Amino acid sequence: MAGEEMVRVAVDQELCIGAGVCELLEPEVFELDNDIVISSVTGDELLPRARADVVVDRCPSRAIAIVEEEL
Amino acid sequence: MRSTADMAPPSAAAVDTPNVTDPSLYLEGIPHDRFAQIRATPGLAWHPYEDGGFWAVTRHAEVRHVSRNPELFSSAIGHTNLWDLEADALEARRSLIDTDAPDHTRLRRLVAGAFTPKNIRRWEETVRAITGELLDEFVAQGGGDWVDMVAAPLPIQVILTMLGVPTDDADYLVELSNYLVEGTGDAQSIPPDAFGNTTELRLLPFNSPASHALFEYGEGMRQQRQNDLRDDLVSHLVQAESDVERMSRNEYRNMFHLLVFAGNETTRTAISHGGMALAAFPDEWQRVLDDPGLIDSAAEEVLRWATPVMHMRRTATTNSELAGTPIAEGDKVVMWYASANRDEAVFEDPFRFDVSRANSNHFAFGGGGPHLCLGAFLARLEVTVLLEEMAKRSICLEQTSEPVRARSNFVHGVLSVGMQPAGGTN
Ligand code: HEM
Repeated sequence: MAGEEMVRVAVDQELCIGAGVCELLEPEVFELDNDIVISSVTGDELLPRARADVVVDRCPSRAIAIVEEEL
Repeated sequence: MRSTADMAPPSAAAVDTPNVTDPSLYLEGIPHDRFAQIRATPGLAWHPYEDGGFWAVTRHAEVRHVSRNPELFSSAIGHTNLWDLEADALEARRSLIDTDAPDHTRLRRLVAGAFTPKNIRRWEETVRAITGELLDEFVAQGGGDWVDMVAAPLPIQVILTMLGVPTDDADYLVELSNYLVEGTGDAQSIPPDAFGNTTELRLLPFNSPASHALFEYGEGMRQQRQNDLRDDLVSHLVQAESDVERMSRNEYRNMFHLLVFAGNETTRTAISHGGMALAAFPDEWQRVLDDPGLIDSAAEEVLRWATPVMHMRRTATTNSELAGTPIAEGDKVVMWYASANRDEAVFEDPFRFDVSRANSNHFAFGGGGPHLCLGAFLARLEVTVLLEEMAKRSICLEQTSEPVRARSNFVHGVLSVGMQPAGGTN
Protein backbone atom coordinates (compact mmCIF):
# COMPACT_ATOMS: atom_id res chain seq x y z
CA MET A 1 0.00 0.00 0.00
CA ALA A 2 1.43 3.32 -1.00
CA GLY A 3 3.08 5.20 1.80
CA GLU A 4 2.49 2.46 4.35
CA GLU A 5 5.11 2.33 7.05
CA MET A 6 7.33 -0.77 6.98
CA VAL A 7 8.68 -2.26 10.19
CA ARG A 8 11.17 -4.95 11.14
CA VAL A 9 10.06 -7.84 13.34
CA ALA A 10 12.06 -10.11 15.65
CA VAL A 11 11.40 -13.45 17.37
CA ASP A 12 12.44 -14.12 20.95
CA GLN A 13 13.58 -17.70 20.57
CA GLU A 14 13.45 -18.36 24.31
CA LEU A 15 9.73 -17.71 24.30
CA CYS A 16 8.80 -19.35 20.99
CA ILE A 17 6.76 -22.54 21.42
CA GLY A 18 6.72 -23.47 17.73
CA ALA A 19 2.97 -23.13 17.18
CA GLY A 20 3.59 -21.92 13.64
CA VAL A 21 1.01 -19.15 13.63
CA CYS A 22 3.57 -16.63 12.31
CA GLU A 23 4.64 -18.97 9.51
CA LEU A 24 1.01 -19.38 8.49
CA LEU A 25 0.26 -15.65 8.52
CA GLU A 26 3.51 -14.39 6.96
CA PRO A 27 5.33 -17.26 5.23
CA GLU A 28 7.69 -14.85 3.49
CA VAL A 29 9.01 -13.55 6.79
CA PHE A 30 8.88 -16.36 9.35
CA GLU A 31 10.19 -19.86 9.10
CA LEU A 32 10.08 -22.67 11.64
CA ASP A 33 13.13 -24.87 11.92
CA ASN A 34 11.78 -28.42 11.63
CA ASP A 35 14.31 -29.92 14.04
CA ILE A 36 14.29 -27.48 16.92
CA VAL A 37 10.76 -26.16 16.16
CA ILE A 38 11.62 -22.55 16.81
CA SER A 39 10.67 -19.71 14.52
CA SER A 40 13.07 -17.20 13.07
CA VAL A 41 12.87 -14.29 10.70
CA THR A 42 14.26 -15.12 7.29
CA GLY A 43 16.56 -12.52 5.78
CA ASP A 44 15.66 -9.02 6.83
CA GLU A 45 12.14 -9.00 5.53
CA LEU A 46 10.01 -6.07 6.47
CA LEU A 47 6.30 -5.98 7.04
CA PRO A 48 3.73 -3.22 6.75
CA ARG A 49 2.98 -2.11 10.31
CA ALA A 50 -0.65 -3.24 10.23
CA ARG A 51 0.33 -6.78 9.26
CA ALA A 52 3.15 -6.85 11.78
CA ASP A 53 0.64 -5.84 14.47
CA VAL A 54 -1.53 -8.84 13.55
CA VAL A 55 1.35 -11.34 13.92
CA VAL A 56 2.46 -9.78 17.18
CA ASP A 57 -1.12 -10.01 18.38
CA ARG A 58 -1.64 -13.62 17.29
CA CYS A 59 1.65 -15.12 18.49
CA PRO A 60 0.49 -17.31 21.40
CA SER A 61 3.72 -17.01 23.36
CA ARG A 62 4.15 -13.25 22.80
CA ALA A 63 7.53 -14.03 21.23
CA ILE A 64 7.29 -11.57 18.34
CA ALA A 65 8.01 -7.89 18.67
CA ILE A 66 8.34 -4.96 16.31
CA VAL A 67 11.88 -3.65 16.40
CA GLU A 68 11.51 0.09 16.55
CA GLU A 69 14.37 1.65 14.59
CA GLU A 70 14.97 4.31 12.00
CA LEU A 71 14.59 2.82 8.54
CA MET B 1 -3.67 -16.02 49.30
CA ARG B 2 -7.29 -15.33 50.14
CA SER B 3 -7.82 -16.50 53.72
CA THR B 4 -10.79 -18.73 54.47
CA ALA B 5 -12.36 -15.80 56.33
CA ASP B 6 -12.87 -13.94 53.05
CA MET B 7 -13.93 -17.00 51.11
CA ALA B 8 -17.38 -15.49 51.38
CA PRO B 9 -18.31 -13.59 48.21
CA PRO B 10 -15.70 -10.83 47.93
CA SER B 11 -17.98 -8.55 45.95
CA ALA B 12 -21.62 -7.64 46.19
CA ALA B 13 -22.25 -8.77 42.61
CA ALA B 14 -21.37 -12.31 43.65
CA VAL B 15 -24.61 -12.78 45.50
CA ASP B 16 -26.53 -12.91 42.24
CA THR B 17 -24.05 -14.85 40.10
CA PRO B 18 -26.13 -17.55 38.44
CA ASN B 19 -24.77 -21.07 38.78
CA VAL B 20 -22.99 -22.26 35.63
CA THR B 21 -21.14 -25.26 37.06
CA ASP B 22 -23.95 -27.70 37.85
CA PRO B 23 -23.22 -30.48 35.31
CA SER B 24 -26.89 -31.36 34.99
CA LEU B 25 -27.58 -27.93 33.45
CA TYR B 26 -25.54 -29.01 30.45
CA LEU B 27 -27.85 -31.91 29.69
CA GLU B 28 -30.05 -29.22 28.11
CA GLY B 29 -27.14 -27.44 26.42
CA ILE B 30 -24.93 -24.52 27.47
CA PRO B 31 -26.84 -22.21 29.85
CA HIS B 32 -26.32 -19.24 27.53
CA ASP B 33 -28.89 -17.05 29.27
CA ARG B 34 -26.93 -17.34 32.50
CA PHE B 35 -23.65 -16.51 30.79
CA ALA B 36 -25.27 -13.51 29.08
CA GLN B 37 -26.35 -12.27 32.49
CA ILE B 38 -22.81 -12.61 33.88
CA ARG B 39 -21.30 -10.92 30.78
CA ALA B 40 -23.65 -7.98 31.22
CA THR B 41 -22.60 -7.43 34.85
CA PRO B 42 -19.68 -4.99 35.15
CA GLY B 43 -16.46 -6.31 36.69
CA LEU B 44 -15.77 -9.98 37.29
CA ALA B 45 -18.34 -12.22 38.92
CA TRP B 46 -17.36 -14.35 41.92
CA HIS B 47 -18.87 -17.79 41.44
CA PRO B 48 -19.18 -20.05 44.48
CA TYR B 49 -17.80 -23.54 43.92
CA GLU B 50 -17.50 -26.37 46.44
CA ASP B 51 -16.13 -24.75 49.62
CA GLY B 52 -14.58 -21.80 47.80
CA GLY B 53 -15.18 -20.17 44.47
CA PHE B 54 -13.63 -18.66 41.37
CA TRP B 55 -13.67 -15.54 39.26
CA ALA B 56 -15.90 -16.21 36.27
CA VAL B 57 -14.25 -14.55 33.26
CA THR B 58 -16.92 -14.47 30.59
CA ARG B 59 -16.10 -11.65 28.16
CA HIS B 60 -13.82 -12.10 25.13
CA ALA B 61 -11.38 -9.29 26.01
CA GLU B 62 -10.84 -10.51 29.55
CA VAL B 63 -10.51 -14.16 28.58
CA ARG B 64 -7.79 -13.05 26.21
CA HIS B 65 -6.04 -11.10 28.95
CA VAL B 66 -5.96 -14.11 31.28
CA SER B 67 -4.85 -16.48 28.54
CA ARG B 68 -2.04 -14.27 27.26
CA ASN B 69 -0.56 -13.40 30.65
CA PRO B 70 0.58 -16.76 31.99
CA GLU B 71 3.01 -15.06 34.37
CA LEU B 72 -0.03 -13.63 36.17
CA PHE B 73 -2.35 -16.60 35.67
CA SER B 74 -0.64 -19.97 36.05
CA SER B 75 -1.60 -23.34 34.57
CA ALA B 76 0.79 -25.18 36.89
CA ILE B 77 -0.71 -24.24 40.27
CA GLY B 78 -3.71 -26.03 41.74
CA HIS B 79 -5.17 -27.51 38.55
CA THR B 80 -6.54 -26.36 35.18
CA ASN B 81 -9.95 -27.83 36.05
CA LEU B 82 -12.27 -26.22 38.58
CA TRP B 83 -11.32 -28.33 41.57
CA ASP B 84 -7.90 -28.25 43.23
CA LEU B 85 -5.73 -31.34 43.30
CA GLU B 86 -3.55 -32.39 46.19
CA ALA B 87 0.14 -31.82 45.47
CA ASP B 88 0.97 -35.48 44.83
CA ALA B 89 -2.03 -35.93 42.55
CA LEU B 90 -1.14 -32.80 40.56
CA GLU B 91 2.41 -34.08 40.07
CA ALA B 92 1.25 -37.54 39.02
CA ARG B 93 -1.31 -36.15 36.59
CA ARG B 94 0.63 -33.16 35.24
CA SER B 95 0.67 -32.98 31.44
CA LEU B 96 1.60 -30.25 28.95
CA ILE B 97 -1.68 -28.51 29.69
CA ASP B 98 -0.85 -28.11 33.42
CA THR B 99 2.58 -26.53 33.01
CA ASP B 100 4.06 -23.05 32.79
CA ALA B 101 7.27 -22.00 31.03
CA PRO B 102 9.98 -23.25 31.05
CA ASP B 103 8.52 -26.78 31.41
CA HIS B 104 5.73 -25.87 29.04
CA THR B 105 8.14 -24.59 26.39
CA ARG B 106 10.29 -27.72 26.66
CA LEU B 107 7.38 -30.17 26.40
CA ARG B 108 5.51 -28.19 23.77
CA ARG B 109 8.53 -28.05 21.45
CA LEU B 110 8.82 -31.84 21.67
CA VAL B 111 5.49 -32.21 19.89
CA ALA B 112 4.94 -28.86 18.19
CA GLY B 113 6.75 -29.83 14.98
CA ALA B 114 4.15 -32.41 14.02
CA PHE B 115 1.30 -29.94 14.42
CA THR B 116 2.40 -26.76 12.65
CA PRO B 117 0.05 -25.59 9.89
CA LYS B 118 2.68 -26.43 7.30
CA ASN B 119 3.28 -29.98 8.51
CA ILE B 120 -0.40 -30.67 9.17
CA ARG B 121 -1.10 -30.09 5.47
CA ARG B 122 0.72 -33.38 4.72
CA TRP B 123 -2.18 -35.22 6.35
CA GLU B 124 -4.82 -33.79 4.07
CA GLU B 125 -5.12 -36.83 1.79
CA THR B 126 -5.27 -39.21 4.76
CA VAL B 127 -8.02 -37.13 6.34
CA ARG B 128 -9.88 -36.93 3.03
CA ALA B 129 -9.76 -40.69 2.48
CA ILE B 130 -11.03 -41.49 5.99
CA THR B 131 -13.77 -38.84 5.72
CA GLY B 132 -14.93 -40.04 2.31
CA GLU B 133 -15.26 -43.62 3.51
CA LEU B 134 -17.26 -42.63 6.58
CA LEU B 135 -19.61 -40.38 4.59
CA ASP B 136 -20.18 -43.00 1.90
CA GLU B 137 -21.09 -45.53 4.56
CA PHE B 138 -23.38 -43.01 6.28
CA VAL B 139 -25.22 -42.41 2.99
CA ALA B 140 -25.33 -46.11 2.09
CA GLN B 141 -26.92 -46.92 5.47
CA GLY B 142 -29.44 -44.11 5.03
CA GLY B 143 -28.04 -42.40 8.13
CA GLY B 144 -27.99 -43.37 11.79
CA ASP B 145 -26.14 -42.06 14.82
CA TRP B 146 -24.03 -39.16 13.51
CA VAL B 147 -21.67 -39.40 16.49
CA ASP B 148 -21.06 -43.11 16.06
CA MET B 149 -20.86 -43.07 12.29
CA VAL B 150 -18.93 -39.88 11.55
CA ALA B 151 -18.08 -37.55 14.44
CA ALA B 152 -16.26 -40.11 16.61
CA PRO B 153 -14.45 -42.30 14.06
CA LEU B 154 -12.96 -39.48 11.97
CA PRO B 155 -10.77 -37.76 14.61
CA ILE B 156 -9.77 -40.95 16.42
CA GLN B 157 -8.65 -42.59 13.19
CA VAL B 158 -6.64 -39.52 12.23
CA ILE B 159 -4.85 -39.06 15.56
CA LEU B 160 -4.13 -42.79 15.85
CA THR B 161 -2.63 -42.77 12.35
CA MET B 162 -0.38 -39.85 13.31
CA LEU B 163 0.66 -41.56 16.54
CA GLY B 164 1.29 -44.87 14.81
CA VAL B 165 -1.32 -46.68 16.91
CA PRO B 166 -3.26 -49.43 15.06
CA THR B 167 -6.64 -48.02 14.00
CA ASP B 168 -8.17 -51.42 14.83
CA ASP B 169 -8.03 -50.23 18.43
CA ALA B 170 -10.04 -47.07 17.68
CA ASP B 171 -13.27 -48.39 19.22
CA TYR B 172 -11.52 -49.36 22.44
CA LEU B 173 -9.80 -45.97 22.73
CA VAL B 174 -13.06 -44.10 22.01
CA GLU B 175 -14.69 -46.17 24.76
CA LEU B 176 -11.93 -45.12 27.18
CA SER B 177 -12.41 -41.47 26.15
CA ASN B 178 -16.12 -41.71 26.89
CA TYR B 179 -15.34 -42.84 30.43
CA LEU B 180 -12.88 -39.97 30.80
CA VAL B 181 -15.61 -37.46 29.88
CA GLU B 182 -17.84 -39.03 32.53
CA GLY B 183 -15.02 -38.30 34.96
CA THR B 184 -15.42 -34.55 34.26
CA GLY B 185 -19.03 -34.76 35.46
CA ASP B 186 -20.27 -36.02 38.77
CA ALA B 187 -21.26 -39.58 37.92
CA GLN B 188 -18.99 -42.40 36.80
CA SER B 189 -20.51 -45.57 35.46
CA ILE B 190 -17.51 -47.85 36.05
CA PRO B 191 -16.11 -49.13 39.35
CA PRO B 192 -12.69 -47.92 40.65
CA ASP B 193 -11.09 -51.27 39.82
CA ALA B 194 -12.30 -51.32 36.21
CA PHE B 195 -9.63 -52.30 33.65
CA GLY B 196 -7.62 -53.88 36.48
CA ASN B 197 -6.92 -50.49 38.02
CA THR B 198 -5.28 -50.50 41.46
CA THR B 199 -4.21 -46.82 41.55
CA GLU B 200 -6.10 -44.43 43.82
CA LEU B 201 -8.51 -42.57 41.55
CA ARG B 202 -7.36 -39.11 42.74
CA LEU B 203 -3.96 -39.83 41.16
CA LEU B 204 -5.50 -40.50 37.73
CA PRO B 205 -6.54 -37.92 35.12
CA PHE B 206 -10.29 -37.23 35.36
CA ASN B 207 -10.31 -39.47 38.48
CA SER B 208 -11.08 -42.26 36.05
CA PRO B 209 -9.93 -45.87 36.02
CA ALA B 210 -10.04 -45.51 32.22
CA SER B 211 -6.89 -43.38 32.59
CA HIS B 212 -5.12 -46.42 34.00
CA ALA B 213 -6.11 -48.36 30.88
CA LEU B 214 -4.91 -45.57 28.62
CA PHE B 215 -1.59 -45.39 30.49
CA GLU B 216 -1.15 -49.15 30.09
CA TYR B 217 -1.87 -48.84 26.41
CA GLY B 218 0.68 -46.03 26.01
CA GLU B 219 3.28 -48.05 27.89
CA GLY B 220 2.68 -51.00 25.56
CA MET B 221 3.24 -48.71 22.57
CA ARG B 222 6.40 -47.33 24.16
CA GLN B 223 7.86 -50.79 24.63
CA GLN B 224 7.00 -51.79 21.07
CA ARG B 225 8.58 -48.72 19.52
CA GLN B 226 11.66 -48.75 21.74
CA ASN B 227 13.23 -51.46 19.60
CA ASP B 228 11.46 -50.60 16.40
CA LEU B 229 11.51 -46.85 15.78
CA ARG B 230 9.29 -45.72 12.92
CA ASP B 231 8.25 -42.49 11.30
CA ASP B 232 5.40 -41.82 13.73
CA LEU B 233 4.63 -39.63 16.71
CA VAL B 234 5.00 -42.37 19.34
CA SER B 235 8.51 -43.14 18.04
CA HIS B 236 9.30 -39.45 18.21
CA LEU B 237 8.15 -39.33 21.85
CA VAL B 238 10.01 -42.53 22.70
CA GLN B 239 13.21 -41.03 21.35
CA ALA B 240 12.70 -37.92 23.45
CA GLU B 241 11.92 -40.04 26.50
CA SER B 242 15.25 -41.85 26.17
CA ASP B 243 16.86 -38.61 27.38
CA VAL B 244 15.39 -37.67 30.74
CA GLU B 245 16.52 -34.06 30.29
CA ARG B 246 14.03 -33.87 27.45
CA MET B 247 11.15 -35.91 28.81
CA SER B 248 10.60 -38.13 31.84
CA ARG B 249 8.70 -41.44 31.80
CA ASN B 250 5.82 -39.81 33.64
CA GLU B 251 5.75 -36.99 31.08
CA TYR B 252 5.63 -39.54 28.25
CA ARG B 253 2.72 -41.32 29.89
CA ASN B 254 0.73 -38.13 30.39
CA MET B 255 1.57 -36.80 26.91
CA PHE B 256 0.33 -40.01 25.27
CA HIS B 257 -2.86 -39.79 27.35
CA LEU B 258 -3.38 -36.13 26.45
CA LEU B 259 -2.82 -36.65 22.71
CA VAL B 260 -5.27 -39.54 22.51
CA PHE B 261 -7.94 -37.82 24.60
CA ALA B 262 -7.61 -34.25 23.31
CA GLY B 263 -7.02 -35.52 19.78
CA ASN B 264 -10.38 -37.23 19.53
CA GLU B 265 -12.87 -36.06 22.12
CA THR B 266 -12.86 -32.38 21.20
CA THR B 267 -12.95 -32.73 17.43
CA ARG B 268 -15.71 -35.30 17.79
CA THR B 269 -17.68 -32.69 19.71
CA ALA B 270 -17.06 -30.06 17.02
CA ILE B 271 -18.30 -32.42 14.30
CA SER B 272 -21.34 -33.46 16.36
CA HIS B 273 -22.44 -29.86 16.84
CA GLY B 274 -21.43 -29.06 13.28
CA GLY B 275 -23.84 -31.70 11.96
CA MET B 276 -26.59 -30.43 14.24
CA ALA B 277 -26.04 -26.85 13.06
CA LEU B 278 -26.15 -27.83 9.38
CA ALA B 279 -29.43 -29.64 10.03
CA ALA B 280 -30.88 -26.77 12.06
CA PHE B 281 -29.89 -24.07 9.57
CA PRO B 282 -30.30 -25.64 6.12
CA ASP B 283 -30.27 -22.23 4.42
CA GLU B 284 -26.79 -21.59 5.76
CA TRP B 285 -25.59 -24.96 4.47
CA GLN B 286 -27.22 -24.24 1.13
CA ARG B 287 -25.12 -21.05 0.91
CA VAL B 288 -21.99 -23.20 1.28
CA LEU B 289 -23.22 -25.64 -1.37
CA ASP B 290 -23.81 -22.71 -3.69
CA ASP B 291 -20.46 -21.08 -2.94
CA PRO B 292 -17.61 -23.42 -1.89
CA GLY B 293 -15.57 -20.27 -1.20
CA LEU B 294 -17.43 -20.16 2.11
CA ILE B 295 -16.00 -23.46 3.38
CA ASP B 296 -13.21 -21.90 5.45
CA SER B 297 -15.42 -19.39 7.21
CA ALA B 298 -18.09 -22.08 7.67
CA ALA B 299 -15.51 -24.32 9.39
CA GLU B 300 -14.54 -21.50 11.76
CA GLU B 301 -18.20 -20.87 12.48
CA VAL B 302 -18.72 -24.56 13.31
CA LEU B 303 -15.83 -24.32 15.78
CA ARG B 304 -17.19 -21.14 17.39
CA TRP B 305 -20.69 -22.59 17.48
CA ALA B 306 -19.56 -25.88 19.04
CA THR B 307 -16.98 -24.57 21.56
CA PRO B 308 -16.12 -28.17 22.52
CA VAL B 309 -14.00 -27.13 25.53
CA MET B 310 -16.22 -24.82 27.55
CA HIS B 311 -13.68 -23.48 30.03
CA MET B 312 -10.15 -23.74 31.37
CA ARG B 313 -8.97 -22.54 34.73
CA ARG B 314 -5.89 -20.59 35.82
CA THR B 315 -4.64 -19.63 39.29
CA ALA B 316 -3.43 -16.10 40.09
CA THR B 317 0.28 -15.98 40.87
CA THR B 318 0.08 -12.47 42.29
CA ASN B 319 -2.39 -9.71 43.13
CA SER B 320 -3.70 -7.95 40.05
CA GLU B 321 -6.79 -6.29 38.69
CA LEU B 322 -9.09 -7.21 35.84
CA ALA B 323 -12.18 -5.33 34.66
CA GLY B 324 -11.76 -3.15 37.73
CA THR B 325 -12.00 -6.16 40.04
CA PRO B 326 -9.06 -6.94 42.30
CA ILE B 327 -7.80 -10.51 42.03
CA ALA B 328 -5.77 -11.93 44.91
CA GLU B 329 -2.81 -14.27 44.65
CA GLY B 330 -4.08 -17.85 44.79
CA ASP B 331 -7.55 -17.05 43.45
CA LYS B 332 -9.01 -19.36 40.84
CA VAL B 333 -9.74 -17.62 37.56
CA VAL B 334 -11.91 -19.47 35.04
CA MET B 335 -12.00 -18.54 31.35
CA TRP B 336 -15.40 -19.43 29.95
CA TYR B 337 -14.73 -19.95 26.26
CA ALA B 338 -18.39 -20.95 25.85
CA SER B 339 -19.33 -17.41 26.88
CA ALA B 340 -16.55 -15.48 25.12
CA ASN B 341 -17.63 -17.13 21.86
CA ARG B 342 -21.09 -15.54 22.25
CA ASP B 343 -19.80 -12.13 23.40
CA GLU B 344 -22.02 -9.58 21.69
CA ALA B 345 -19.23 -6.98 21.98
CA VAL B 346 -17.12 -9.01 19.54
CA PHE B 347 -19.49 -11.15 17.46
CA GLU B 348 -22.34 -9.45 15.70
CA ASP B 349 -25.57 -11.30 16.36
CA PRO B 350 -23.65 -14.03 18.23
CA PHE B 351 -26.54 -16.49 18.45
CA ARG B 352 -26.86 -16.62 14.69
CA PHE B 353 -25.04 -19.47 12.88
CA ASP B 354 -23.48 -17.52 10.02
CA VAL B 355 -21.27 -19.40 7.56
CA SER B 356 -19.85 -16.17 6.19
CA ARG B 357 -19.03 -14.55 9.54
CA ALA B 358 -16.15 -12.20 8.97
CA ASN B 359 -14.75 -12.32 12.49
CA SER B 360 -13.11 -15.68 13.06
CA ASN B 361 -11.31 -14.71 16.25
CA HIS B 362 -13.18 -17.26 18.34
CA PHE B 363 -11.75 -18.96 21.39
CA ALA B 364 -12.63 -22.58 20.63
CA PHE B 365 -8.89 -23.32 20.83
CA GLY B 366 -8.26 -21.18 23.89
CA GLY B 367 -7.90 -17.46 24.49
CA GLY B 368 -4.81 -16.88 22.35
CA GLY B 369 -2.10 -17.61 24.94
CA PRO B 370 0.70 -20.20 25.00
CA HIS B 371 -1.62 -23.13 25.67
CA LEU B 372 -3.25 -22.48 22.30
CA CYS B 373 -4.55 -25.87 21.27
CA LEU B 374 -1.73 -27.98 19.88
CA GLY B 375 -4.17 -29.67 17.52
CA ALA B 376 -5.85 -26.49 16.29
CA PHE B 377 -4.67 -26.82 12.70
CA LEU B 378 -5.35 -30.54 12.62
CA ALA B 379 -8.88 -30.01 13.93
CA ARG B 380 -9.45 -27.22 11.38
CA LEU B 381 -8.25 -29.52 8.62
CA GLU B 382 -10.67 -32.24 9.74
CA VAL B 383 -13.66 -29.93 9.92
CA THR B 384 -12.80 -28.25 6.61
CA VAL B 385 -12.31 -31.53 4.76
CA LEU B 386 -15.54 -32.89 6.23
CA LEU B 387 -17.49 -29.89 4.90
CA GLU B 388 -15.77 -30.18 1.52
CA GLU B 389 -16.55 -33.87 1.19
CA MET B 390 -20.16 -33.33 2.26
CA ALA B 391 -20.50 -30.54 -0.30
CA LYS B 392 -18.93 -32.71 -2.99
CA ARG B 393 -21.61 -35.36 -2.32
CA SER B 394 -24.37 -32.73 -1.89
CA ILE B 395 -25.20 -34.21 1.50
CA CYS B 396 -27.77 -32.27 3.49
CA LEU B 397 -28.55 -33.46 7.00
CA GLU B 398 -31.91 -33.99 8.64
CA GLN B 399 -31.89 -34.56 12.36
CA THR B 400 -33.99 -37.59 13.31
CA SER B 401 -33.62 -37.62 17.11
CA GLU B 402 -32.81 -35.31 19.99
CA PRO B 403 -29.14 -35.27 20.98
CA VAL B 404 -28.05 -37.03 24.16
CA ARG B 405 -25.64 -34.58 25.76
CA ALA B 406 -22.76 -35.21 28.16
CA ARG B 407 -23.35 -34.39 31.81
CA SER B 408 -20.31 -32.12 31.96
CA ASN B 409 -19.58 -28.42 32.47
CA PHE B 410 -16.21 -28.90 30.77
CA VAL B 411 -16.65 -30.81 27.50
CA HIS B 412 -19.66 -29.78 25.41
CA GLY B 413 -20.09 -33.42 24.48
CA VAL B 414 -22.80 -35.09 22.46
CA LEU B 415 -23.13 -38.82 23.08
CA SER B 416 -25.50 -39.51 20.22
CA VAL B 417 -27.75 -37.73 17.72
CA GLY B 418 -29.67 -39.28 14.85
CA MET B 419 -29.15 -37.90 11.34
CA GLN B 420 -30.20 -38.90 7.89
CA PRO B 421 -28.88 -37.68 4.57
CA ALA B 422 -31.09 -35.81 2.17
CA GLY B 423 -30.00 -34.69 -1.25
CA GLY B 424 -29.31 -30.97 -1.64
CA THR B 425 -30.32 -28.89 -4.60
CA ASN B 426 -27.13 -28.17 -6.39
C1 HEM C 1 -12.10 -28.92 17.57
C2 HEM C 1 -11.18 -29.57 18.19
C3 HEM C 1 -10.42 -29.06 19.39
C4 HEM C 1 -10.75 -28.11 20.31
C5 HEM C 1 -12.01 -27.27 20.36
C6 HEM C 1 -9.65 -28.03 21.25
C7 HEM C 1 -9.61 -27.16 22.33
C8 HEM C 1 -8.50 -26.93 23.11
C9 HEM C 1 -8.38 -25.86 24.08
C10 HEM C 1 -9.47 -24.86 24.42
C11 HEM C 1 -7.13 -25.92 24.60
C12 HEM C 1 -6.53 -24.90 25.53
C13 HEM C 1 -6.32 -25.28 26.91
C14 HEM C 1 -5.95 -24.10 27.79
O1 HEM C 1 -6.33 -22.95 27.49
O2 HEM C 1 -5.30 -24.34 28.79
C15 HEM C 1 -6.47 -27.05 23.99
C16 HEM C 1 -5.20 -27.48 24.28
C17 HEM C 1 -4.65 -28.62 23.73
N1 HEM C 1 -5.15 -29.40 22.70
FE1 HEM C 1 -6.87 -29.11 21.75
N2 HEM C 1 -8.69 -28.94 20.90
C18 HEM C 1 -9.12 -29.58 19.75
C19 HEM C 1 -8.44 -30.55 19.05
C20 HEM C 1 -7.24 -31.07 19.41
C21 HEM C 1 -6.55 -32.08 18.68
C22 HEM C 1 -7.00 -32.71 17.37
C23 HEM C 1 -5.44 -32.35 19.38
C24 HEM C 1 -4.45 -33.38 18.94
C25 HEM C 1 -3.26 -33.44 19.18
C26 HEM C 1 -5.41 -31.48 20.55
C27 HEM C 1 -4.42 -31.44 21.52
C28 HEM C 1 -4.29 -30.44 22.48
C29 HEM C 1 -3.17 -30.34 23.39
C30 HEM C 1 -2.00 -31.28 23.46
C31 HEM C 1 -3.39 -29.19 24.18
C32 HEM C 1 -2.48 -28.62 25.26
C33 HEM C 1 -1.62 -27.54 24.66
C34 HEM C 1 -0.74 -26.84 25.66
O3 HEM C 1 -1.04 -26.87 26.87
O4 HEM C 1 0.27 -26.27 25.22
N3 HEM C 1 -6.52 -30.71 20.53
N4 HEM C 1 -7.32 -27.63 23.06
